[in-house]
Amino acid sequence: MATEPAFGSAVPTLSDDSRARGPWTQALHRFSRDGSALAAALVLVVVVVASLLAPIYAGRIAGVDPFSSNLEGEITLAGENIPVLAPSTEGLGIGVIPIGPTWQLNTYFLGADEQGRDVLARLLYGGRATLFIGSASTAITLVLAAFVGICAGFFGGWIDRVLSRVLDILWAFPIYLLAISLSIVLLNSRIELGPLVIDSSSLIIPIIIIGVIYVPYVARPIRGQVLALRKSDFVTAAIGLGVPPHRILARDILPNVITTLIVFVPLMMALNIATETALSFLSLGVQSPGASWGTIIRDGQSLLYSRPWVSTAPGLVIIVTIVALNILGDGVRDAFDPRAKLRP
Amino acid sequence: MTASQVERERFVRGRSCIQPSLSIALVALGLFPGLSHAAENRADLMQAHRGGTVRVVAKSAGGTIDPQINYAPLYWSYYGGVYDGLVTFRKAGGTDSLTIVADLAEAMPSVENAGKTYVFKLRKGIKFSNGKDLTTDDVVASFQRIFKVSSPTSGTWYKDIVGADACLAKPADCTLDGGVVADKSKWTITINLTAPDGEFLDKLSMPHASILPAETVGKDVGIDPIPGTGPYAFESYDPNKALIWARNPHFKEWSVEAQPDGYADRFELRFGLTADAQVNAIINDQADVMFDQPPASRLAELGTRFPTQVHLDPQLAFWYLPLNVNLAPFDNLKARQALAHAIDLKAVVNFFGGRNLATPTCQILPPGMQGYKPFCLHTKDPGSKWTAPDLEKAKQLVDESGTKGQTVTILTEDGEISRNIGSYLQSVLNQIGYNANIKSISGNIHYGYIQNTSNKVQISVTQWYADYPAASDFLNVLLGCGSFREGSDSSPNISGFCDKDLQAQMDKALALGITDQAGELWAAIDQGMMKQVPLIPLFNPKQVTLVSKRMGNFQFSKATNTWAYTLGWVR
Amino acid sequence: MMLAALVQRLAQMLFVMFGISVLVFLIFFATPGSDPAARIAGKNAAPETLVAVRHDFGLDQPLPVQYAVMMKKLFVTHDLVSFVNRGLKVVPAIIEAAPVTLSLVFGAAVFWLIGGLAVGILAAAWRDGFVDRILMILSLTGVAIPVFWLGEMTNLLSQNRLHDTLLFSWVPALGYVSLHADPTGWFKALLLPWLTLSLGFIGIYGRVLRANIVETYQEDFIRTARAKGISETRVLLRHALRMSLVPFVTMFGLDFGALVGGGALVTEVIFGLNGVGKLTYDSLQSLDLPVIMASVMYASFFVVLANAIVDMTYAVLDPRTRSH
Repeated sequence: MATEPAFGSAVPTLSDDSRARGPWTQALHRFSRDGSALAAALVLVVVVVASLLAPIYAGRIAGVDPFSSNLEGEITLAGENIPVLAPSTEGLGIGVIPIGPTWQLNTYFLGADEQGRDVLARLLYGGRATLFIGSASTAITLVLAAFVGICAGFFGGWIDRVLSRVLDILWAFPIYLLAISLSIVLLNSRIELGPLVIDSSSLIIPIIIIGVIYVPYVARPIRGQVLALRKSDFVTAAIGLGVPPHRILARDILPNVITTLIVFVPLMMALNIATETALSFLSLGVQSPGASWGTIIRDGQSLLYSRPWVSTAPGLVIIVTIVALNILGDGVRDAFDPRAKLRP
Repeated sequence: MTASQVERERFVRGRSCIQPSLSIALVALGLFPGLSHAAENRADLMQAHRGGTVRVVAKSAGGTIDPQINYAPLYWSYYGGVYDGLVTFRKAGGTDSLTIVADLAEAMPSVENAGKTYVFKLRKGIKFSNGKDLTTDDVVASFQRIFKVSSPTSGTWYKDIVGADACLAKPADCTLDGGVVADKSKWTITINLTAPDGEFLDKLSMPHASILPAETVGKDVGIDPIPGTGPYAFESYDPNKALIWARNPHFKEWSVEAQPDGYADRFELRFGLTADAQVNAIINDQADVMFDQPPASRLAELGTRFPTQVHLDPQLAFWYLPLNVNLAPFDNLKARQALAHAIDLKAVVNFFGGRNLATPTCQILPPGMQGYKPFCLHTKDPGSKWTAPDLEKAKQLVDESGTKGQTVTILTEDGEISRNIGSYLQSVLNQIGYNANIKSISGNIHYGYIQNTSNKVQISVTQWYADYPAASDFLNVLLGCGSFREGSDSSPNISGFCDKDLQAQMDKALALGITDQAGELWAAIDQGMMKQVPLIPLFNPKQVTLVSKRMGNFQFSKATNTWAYTLGWVR
Repeated sequence: MMLAALVQRLAQMLFVMFGISVLVFLIFFATPGSDPAARIAGKNAAPETLVAVRHDFGLDQPLPVQYAVMMKKLFVTHDLVSFVNRGLKVVPAIIEAAPVTLSLVFGAAVFWLIGGLAVGILAAAWRDGFVDRILMILSLTGVAIPVFWLGEMTNLLSQNRLHDTLLFSWVPALGYVSLHADPTGWFKALLLPWLTLSLGFIGIYGRVLRANIVETYQEDFIRTARAKGISETRVLLRHALRMSLVPFVTMFGLDFGALVGGGALVTEVIFGLNGVGKLTYDSLQSLDLPVIMASVMYASFFVVLANAIVDMTYAVLDPRTRSH
């Protein structure tokens, strides 16, 4: 179901006739001259590298295990011993508060969560899970959307009608219900698809859910594009000449669709990262003690009023990543489709 | 700082505002429980504090408003001032509430026929909020209605009434012939049981045994409130907005102990705020009482900045881990003992809000319950209380049990505290040699899900609150053979534990009622159960209630785990 | 011809709604622990009681019969009642919740239309300049902020941290205030939810509008207009903007439909507004099938309707689609 569609219909505008020869070299060339896109790419590289370096940070710099509870731990700060989880001693003496940000890179930079775990270390590890889920689900969306969109657009007729209605159902379906239901169904029954075993702790679940729900979002514009291509002069001519359909698909349709898909990649990544956060609230996704940006926000939510940084930090990281992905997306679109560069 | 100190602080504040005489203040605080309802003082207090509207906030509505069907804590908290039974727990705070007093009955019943017959004399002159007089017909009809509407407890609490079998089989034609008999000329009600039941009066004090007008429909009324006899009557109910109750114009106080007139004129319970938003609303003077517990992470802030507005009240309840004794690895006694030794209860208590809010416990019965004798079997130095975890012993027991390396899945609900306990449990299980993972599901489904044996839950985190203060409500309900029902979502014996000897002892204790002998027996059963560790007790929680600055005389009834709201005032 | 297309579209809408309802129904009953009987009956209910409750609610009937009965109660007799809040009639509940959602969505729409137009026009006017860049980065940030996070932060500041300061002391308690009972209270209660909900949309609409205006600048008629010596402001507002509004309006239709259908769920929950979204959320939380079914039908009706309307207007408005 479309809940506050964070990206509405910010669909990249690709014109129908962007059928240039050798678009890749040209695109790369144009891209390399786009300052803001390069800056965005740099930001993303930093995010990815930081996530990859998570074990080094956790192990060497902070010296913590971000995946096990540290309820009795103490740290030394400015010569003072401070418990990681401090029971309140003032007033009624109720409540236990985890340590706040120390702003010192070697110890609890962003403070601890309710299990006494280092938030920064979890944030770095969480980046791995989130980025992985984001990319894998994007791949699923794009492959399925391309398949559905091309089938519907190229063959038309009843295939188109059936596929379009299926997309409608999928788009209007209450995805949270499916998510809740799946999370319960998978509690003690596993889905086995040949060698692939899916249980509820598997990352495959959020990946598939996120991947599938956005298929209509991408498949619709692709269907439109293929429909337009199908009716363009060169395809009509090819059909008239008796060129077999698979040839036409491979030579004339697919290259165009692929450039559209490439434009969708950063956008879908951004969208999927946002969705991962939402699914984490339903306990669907990365399971404890693992971390993703979404689960850290959820853990931080209960600490919002006492330790706001626990949920603010992943929130900010998500915002920066999504902004960077979108700027990159613009850059990629402009690089592939100079007309859309939209200069007067 | 203890709760009583808080009370004293509140007293000092109270005096500076309204300056009542010292004795009145002390009475109001319940420091002279025996005198607390002396008529003249009450009249003074009534004059000083009567009136106003109390604004209550809660997360969401609590289901049907029918007092004979609803079984959720939300409305059970508020039925007290609207409906009456033949008897009731005294409307008072703390342990004063534990006494059962006559309510619609003139006096406590005479018990005859070796505990199988109860005779009540009904009070005269009581009217329902619709103006109709209360008669013996209403009482008989209300008991029939328990079965006609398939009340949740009809087959458990009231099954011993003569004729109940037929009623359970065919609810629509329920007569309870020979079970509940009215004598119109003598104005008495006689209830006959098929077997003596030491807890029958407790059960009659519950909302499910409320006396309603005889003409009330024999099905769930849903959102249309039924008239009652208490000082208040429900005015309107919309599960998406609010439940509102105001003074019952036909109410005349007949017993201060059983059903005192209330101070406030009106109560508005609004739904739809998250727990955090409820806390904000009270701090910002937008509401007077929050029904839900404040989130654990707000407690330090509240305890420091608003100590006078926070009330801590011990409850007859405990949090525990049911261990499925029919599934590996916890079908092995040593595996169960190992986990019991390994858990650091101090850490678990901290998730709930620290030692001032929860007390570690190693037994099933909570403090203050009949048969409570403190003991702790699974700790570093076994004795009367928990001291420290014993990881060495735990690891050794796991080794001996031969269950090392097995996979354990912990099932928690998705609330903050449960998830935290689950996460901690996961590290403990991994530490002592298991391969643990954790799943959390929506709190609305969790309790039914973990009860059902076909879901094969090995271990979970849950809690139990007494319906009424009786040992059997813990031991027999949670671990009795009768409450284990395979394949059913309604099987509160989650562990699937059934021990013939212990069950025989429980049956014996049940028949004895509230006697010293029964107390001894329950204490022994408590120990006997814990020797087999069908569940691991964690702690006894305290109720945390946050109220507004103007809320006075907040009293929490220990017997019913509810706020005795007719005693509170906002003026 | 036009009528036939309309009928066909209607049939398709019905098919989609039918598909969704069947899926919801099947998924519900495939979920372990969703059987409402035990939850309705209460804790520790005896087996006899469970049987009685199950029979009472028709839960002992075959699934297709249950489905048919539920659809009949929902669409024909309008007396479908909730499993959780028994006696709560679902259809009136949704009708009663609709004004809250409409208030929220209409108000937010005003903000996001004005905001989107302003951002789009200003950015296009100074395209590729400093203002454009700042506006585009801000828009992207607005788009990237998760709504629930923004809402929580808004509450943290306005209800707690800064509640006693001049900035937020006017903020009333969370919850809805009826418009005709207290117009000022209504406005105060909804202002922050409006801003929260509209922020992301302002970002999207601003970006889309800018892109469309700039694209229109490449069209011949703009060049002609410029060549005629019409002022740049006039070219922008009278010619380019008007052409760019078509996709803007269709987008608005889709989003508006989804939000009226209960898509503003997160905002409603965080701000304690008892609208259709909150109803949907609560019913999902408690697995209350009748309410889930009703709110899903209601939502999908608006989503599908908006889709159809947008498709049709697009066909009428956009000559390119028509030529195919």
